[in-house]
Amino acid sequence: MTNVSKSVVDNNKNRNAKIKLIIERIISYSFLIVLTVFCLSFFYVLVINSTKSNDELNSVFSLLPSKYFFENLIGALFHPTSQYVNIFSGFKNSLIVALLSSVLTCYFSSLTAYGVYAYNFKGKRIIAAFILAIMMIPSQLASVGFLKIAVDLRITDQLWVLIVPSIAAPATYFYMHQYLKATLPLELIEASRMDGSNEFMTFNRIVLPIMKPALAVQMIFSFVASWNNYYMPGLLIEDDNKTTLPIMLGLLRSDAIGKVDNGQIWMVILLSILPVVIVYLILSRSIIKGVTSGSVKG
Amino acid sequence: MKAISLERKEKKKKVTYDRWGLYFIIPFFVVYFLFTLIPQLLTIFYSFFEYYRKTVGVYIGPNFIGFQNYVNLFKPIDSSGTIDILKYFGNTTIMWIVGALPQFLIALILAVMFTSTRLNVKGQGFFKTVFYLPNVIMASAFSLLIFQVFGRVGPINQIIVMNGGNTVDFLRQKTSVRALIAMTNFVMWFGNTTIVLMAGIQGIDESLFESARIDGASSFKVFKDITMPLLKPIFIYCFITSMIGGLQMFDVPQILTAGQGTPDFTSKTIVMFINEVLRAKDYGKSGAISMILFIITGILSLIVYKITNKD
Amino acid sequence: MKKGLLSAVALLATVVGAATMTSCAPKNVINIRAWNDEFKRFFEKYVSDEKIDSMTTNEAGDTVENPNAPKTYHVDGVPVKWSIVPSQDAQYQDKLDIALEKQEKASEGEKVDMFLAEADYILKYADSATTQNIREIGVTDMSKTYNYTVQAASDRNGVVKGVSFQCCPSALIYNKVIAEDVFGTSDPAVIQEKLSDWDKFNEAAAAVKAKGYFMTASVEDSYRVFSNNATTPWVDANGNVSIPEAINGWKAQSKLFIEKEYTVNDGVWGDEKNKNIVKDKETGYKGKAFCCFGPAWYYNFCMGGATKGDWRICKGPQAHFWGGTWLMAATGSNNTDAVAKIMNAFINDETVCENLIKNDGQFTNNQTVNARVAAEYTASNKGNEFLGGQNDTAIFLDLAKNIKFENATNYDQICNEKFQQFYREYLGGSVTESKAIENFYKDVKTKYSHLIVPVAEEAK
Repeated sequence: MTNVSKSVVDNNKNRNAKIKLIIERIISYSFLIVLTVFCLSFFYVLVINSTKSNDELNSVFSLLPSKYFFENLIGALFHPTSQYVNIFSGFKNSLIVALLSSVLTCYFSSLTAYGVYAYNFKGKRIIAAFILAIMMIPSQLASVGFLKIAVDLRITDQLWVLIVPSIAAPATYFYMHQYLKATLPLELIEASRMDGSNEFMTFNRIVLPIMKPALAVQMIFSFVASWNNYYMPGLLIEDDNKTTLPIMLGLLRSDAIGKVDNGQIWMVILLSILPVVIVYLILSRSIIKGVTSGSVKG
Repeated sequence: MKAISLERKEKKKKVTYDRWGLYFIIPFFVVYFLFTLIPQLLTIFYSFFEYYRKTVGVYIGPNFIGFQNYVNLFKPIDSSGTIDILKYFGNTTIMWIVGALPQFLIALILAVMFTSTRLNVKGQGFFKTVFYLPNVIMASAFSLLIFQVFGRVGPINQIIVMNGGNTVDFLRQKTSVRALIAMTNFVMWFGNTTIVLMAGIQGIDESLFESARIDGASSFKVFKDITMPLLKPIFIYCFITSMIGGLQMFDVPQILTAGQGTPDFTSKTIVMFINEVLRAKDYGKSGAISMILFIITGILSLIVYKITNKD
Repeated sequence: MKKGLLSAVALLATVVGAATMTSCAPKNVINIRAWNDEFKRFFEKYVSDEKIDSMTTNEAGDTVENPNAPKTYHVDGVPVKWSIVPSQDAQYQDKLDIALEKQEKASEGEKVDMFLAEADYILKYADSATTQNIREIGVTDMSKTYNYTVQAASDRNGVVKGVSFQCCPSALIYNKVIAEDVFGTSDPAVIQEKLSDWDKFNEAAAAVKAKGYFMTASVEDSYRVFSNNATTPWVDANGNVSIPEAINGWKAQSKLFIEKEYTVNDGVWGDEKNKNIVKDKETGYKGKAFCCFGPAWYYNFCMGGATKGDWRICKGPQAHFWGGTWLMAATGSNNTDAVAKIMNAFINDETVCENLIKNDGQFTNNQTVNARVAAEYTASNKGNEFLGGQNDTAIFLDLAKNIKFENATNYDQICNEKFQQFYREYLGGSVTESKAIENFYKDVKTKYSHLIVPVAEEAK
């Protein structure tokens, strides 16, 4: 009797818990779906509107795509109605800057991290602490002096000025250092020394390959950061043949007068984010992993 | 005898190896000194000088004026007694907070949801991919997108007009401009925060949750008594990073308002101010504003760190 | 896979790096800076030599120039390179200033040879060392140009530093269809009679509104008519900023127009303004705007969406001019012959000038050609296509006589732009009027820290 009632109570409890779980799940999924729709709505509107003609965009809004996608694409690429848009040169400049910056950042951050990790030179601790300290300084502090020097030396308007500073990237250094600590046994370096390998070659041939996962993640992050950078390039670049995509979008905003074909504006926005979005969608798993491993250790 | 000499040899060898460590860090430091440290010192240096362009090719200064640039920045130049730099600092803070509150709240909810073994949410990979996506989009493209969507002839206004409403000037009203900027920052960053907080929760010992559940603790109680306290260091890390980023807010308001911080300068941020003054080539004044931003950032980070480390 | 990806990235980076290095090699080009492509189009159409670098084989098997290849433009064999930056918020000036300041040390391929300047800031460049005497580089005959264009491009000692390729008397541009609906006629003489002073203009606005149209396309549209008639400068010789008396006329009118909904609170280049001059496919000109103000460049270059033939012009309530594009010779240019050639083409080459009027509806800076074409149009009863064949050249010929270049300062662009921007914030209801004016002063001060603006109490 008591056993039966107990099991009834248990059953009730179980059922209640189950119902509660189901309700919680419904709430959770609804919440997730609402957020997903919210996030994607911007991109949906972007894609949809890039398929519409100027007239359609200026009349009534519709959630359905139209048939002007290729017209807008060809227009934006070859006959831009905004005089400040040149997608090809924007892409070229952005690609040069972002690619070279990310390669330099990754290579030299790894090299520096390896130098600090694997060797015991005088002042090593101070140097390690110093790099950590400078991570905290906001980048704007340097901008005034940087612009002044660039203007004085007449090196504004040169893409390399945007690239070379990426050699010193404290945050990437920090990530690489953590990674080395976790993955690279010092014995391995000893072993390669026994084989008579030169220290620099050891780094290139043995250490770098071990760091590949970290390099891939940091390469993507520094590429994205550089690809999206607006502040310093906006101050340093004065010739429109050297503008990167973010600056071009800024110019397009200034040009948002009625003359510019609206369909093309949407298309230009779409084109400027597309490369990064595609790479992201392909590598999203490792990128998201990279976010956590980087910051949690920090 | 032989052993000793070998040891000595080895020591000698080690010393020569260690030199390499220095060689390897040279490029980093050379570039750091040339492109970051010297510019930083120069910024600080010029903040004590009167030094600006009067007209093309004609510069005034540099004349040493002590703290005059700083004093001028804290002088009201209109009848309401507004001190511009404080106003811009206030704008920046408000827009950051309005974006950051939902960012942390929703990120926390999502992180708990995703890590809950009881809920066992399916399709996490998809959701995470979607939520993190806005973070890789360039802020300038995102802002131009928002400008297009909320413009006077954009989709939102078209929907309003279609439903019989009047065109709303989203980009000319203080509240809506600030809200749009905050929203953009929120959309761009909540996914990132979610993922970081998730990793933090996953780092907590699973047995703690297990025993709490056996004790019959409610989900909320588990969150309050176990998750939150143990998540605190990472939460604070996220918070300080977000705050430093928020104080440097630039791309979104700059593009959305075409650099004007409209209306009535209520969406103008400190970095927009630096940018404007720097474009006018006033090195003294822009140096002083940069220094103030640097000091404020330092003090706030310290305060947050102190408060949260008290107990 | 990762290995492949990384080495691919490394390879790509090397290639890109090598490409950057080689593309830096200096070679002689003519560098021209502008804020839009208006002048560029005319230049490419009439003055420069076109070259197609890529060859292709035609059906007959001969090697010919590839008609689909991008063209390059040359002057005396030297290719032309443009840099086009928007003028809004003085971005164009800021970028140009950096370029001119490094001129001395710039490499051959980077030196600015010629740059364009507007009436609002031409003084800043004309009266500086960044521009050079054009008489010395070979532009000697300015007898056919309008005097004010020469005066504007001269420094305080009277040395001429540039030429304008257009003359910019400005008129009232009105919509024919709306005119017929409201006034029963679109005859320029009758319309002019109805709009001959500001009181009549405001009365007409009520009539236009009563029929369901806007009077002007935006509240900023009449601004230049008032500001151009100012009798005091924005900034005096001692650097004091003050709002010219004439601007009060615009302030009063804009308040009235917004209150009575005679117009919309948008900028002269705004989206909504543009919508107001474009014919709707279904509803035609219902709810659209009756008029705007502007010179020849305005309706030929900036009213792209408007329907050709639906517009007419008349003098309007007050004579004025607006803008103009001057070609300035940059100091340190190594292509001065080409620069002089370009300048001469636009002021002295009668074929170029005639084409500019006949094909592009311009009003040129060559009095002889303007007069000749105007007479030709009158005789043959022809004219500008955009204006339904109205002889605008004859009207401008008359208006151009009165243009005087007075009260200009280095700071006019920012003053004009910012004043309208901040006053529109007041018109839109975000701030009080006194606050709007204070904000204007504050922003001018941020941009030009050496200027003196009225402090707190005076601003009230």
